[in-house]
Amino acid sequence: MRKFAIVCLAAALAAALSAAPQAQAPLPKASLPVLTTSAGQSNDANTVNAVLEEAGIKYDYCDVPTVEMLAAGVGLAGKQSAAGFHVEINSDPAKFPKGTAYKTVIIAIGASLKGMGASGLTTDSEEARVKKLIEACKKSKILLVGVHAGGEAARGPAGSDNERMIDAVAPFADVLVVTKDSDKDGRFTKIAARTKAPLVKVDFALGMVDVLKKMF
Amino acid sequence: MTDRRIGALKIALAAAAAAIAALGAVPLYRHRHDRVPIVPGPGVTSVLRLSDYVPSLKGSMADTDVFVLAGAKPGGKALIMANTHANEPAGLLTAFLLVENAVVEEGTLYVIPTFNASAGRNTKPGDGYPLYFSIPTSWGAKRFRLGNRDASPLEQWPDPDVYIHYPERQMLSYLDVRNTNRTWPGRPDGPLMERVTYAAMELLRREKIDVAIDMHGAETMFPVTNCIVAPTKSSKIATLVSMTVKAMEGFDNHVEPSPGNFRGLSHREIGDFADTMPFLLEAPIPFLDQPTGPKTEKLLLDGRDPFLLGLARAHKLFVPYDAAGWPMDKRVGQHCSVSLEILRQFTKKYPEKAIRLSAVPRYAELVANGTGRYLHDPAQADPKALRYE
Repeated sequence: MRKFAIVCLAAALAAALSAAPQAQAPLPKASLPVLTTSAGQSNDANTVNAVLEEAGIKYDYCDVPTVEMLAAGVGLAGKQSAAGFHVEINSDPAKFPKGTAYKTVIIAIGASLKGMGASGLTTDSEEARVKKLIEACKKSKILLVGVHAGGEAARGPAGSDNERMIDAVAPFADVLVVTKDSDKDGRFTKIAARTKAPLVKVDFALGMVDVLKKMF
Repeated sequence: MTDRRIGALKIALAAAAAAIAALGAVPLYRHRHDRVPIVPGPGVTSVLRLSDYVPSLKGSMADTDVFVLAGAKPGGKALIMANTHANEPAGLLTAFLLVENAVVEEGTLYVIPTFNASAGRNTKPGDGYPLYFSIPTSWGAKRFRLGNRDASPLEQWPDPDVYIHYPERQMLSYLDVRNTNRTWPGRPDGPLMERVTYAAMELLRREKIDVAIDMHGAETMFPVTNCIVAPTKSSKIATLVSMTVKAMEGFDNHVEPSPGNFRGLSHREIGDFADTMPFLLEAPIPFLDQPTGPKTEKLLLDGRDPFLLGLARAHKLFVPYDAAGWPMDKRVGQHCSVSLEILRQFTKKYPEKAIRLSAVPRYAELVANGTGRYLHDPAQADPKALRYE
């Protein structure tokens, strides 16, 4: 009887511990200057830029930055927009003169064959480009924020373009910010649990404004 | 059989053929000459014609009204166009609603309810399309013509074997020479539909229009639906609009980039040939999907179809479709809310060019009250003030 009671107590304790919410890793503080870019060339990079503008955070943007452009810092070595290549320089020049090293990179994850094609990329070359960029961020200790705002429509079966971009970015992100719809199958939850990166889920992309305001 | 009898038989057969042709022709003739009254609301300050910008359109079926709603305070300017494709009527209803209700507090709004007026008098009976549809109102049913995607060959004929776009020389389908979403930017001496789009470009340039909104409908099986198509210059505002309506008004929307290498469309050429920011809106229209049941007025209005439901369950559609279909009020609501949000976001970004409207319902109100609630009884209006589309 006593043994039975101990076993029941132990089982109840184990159940209680497993039901308790796992402590979420705290959200790291992000610093300026920040570079935004895309993994997959979907319109979600525009979503990230729009969110930053709503949050009052100035950023530099390039849809297909190289490692050299990242290393060049604010101003992206004077590169100008051209067909299939978009650059925006919005960082405050008074606080961050040209050449100031980026402290944060935000990558909008989402694949678009139209977008990649317009930039002369294939899924393979885009994946390779993103991997090199992430390596460079890690080497320079740049905070990497992975964002997925496209919802279920920007997901797909394993091995699809969208999932390949997630594979290329999410496991290496220092922070993941996603919409709940994007994580319907728990993919990002599982990745964050494995990498111990903080995962923030919002109902809608517009909710990312408050998240980014808190981070910067 | 004698010659006389053969002669009589021939006459009888010819008469029968003529009677059958007349039976078919009379409804088409009536459709072509049907007039839909529009009741200019308190916001309308003047009515122009497209031929004011290209005189050769005057007297043709391609000429059409441009309603001007000038605000008490000067500000920015917007043009809203509907019925580029006259078989996508949610835009037409939205434009009617704007003309009959909107009041402009700041800035100026131009509204063209039937941009391709010839297409609005064209039909697609070979596909079994209804000739008309009616919207229930508190004062009775208001009837509208259902048109076709392209201008009528009665206005513009013959078609070339291949339509070579001006000025980019891209080769397009021969049908697209009569499609005013392929003839932008147009030219003053081109085929009729190129003159229509050129007239609109002149309006945009001469009046210094800041924002142009072109309202459309697209199939549920087509990925470019439930969206705003925008070129780079409009994409930030389009993205904010899309995020906001999704979060605050509860309907799905996304942004599709305007492809740089597909010529002739409003969302491409307006931005390339004028300082205007173009936005093309797509709301889902199940009626246009290929694998549906009969093309009835009911399907046009409620969007409910068992074949599409089956396809939705097999994840073949690009919109969240269920047994409720996609009613017209929902589509009109989407167009109203997205248009208003575009103006709001534009005003926020460029406060010196503010465009502020009032008395225009948003999505939730249209879904709750129905489109008919916002259409006014022409019988109660001053007959001299009425216009006809």
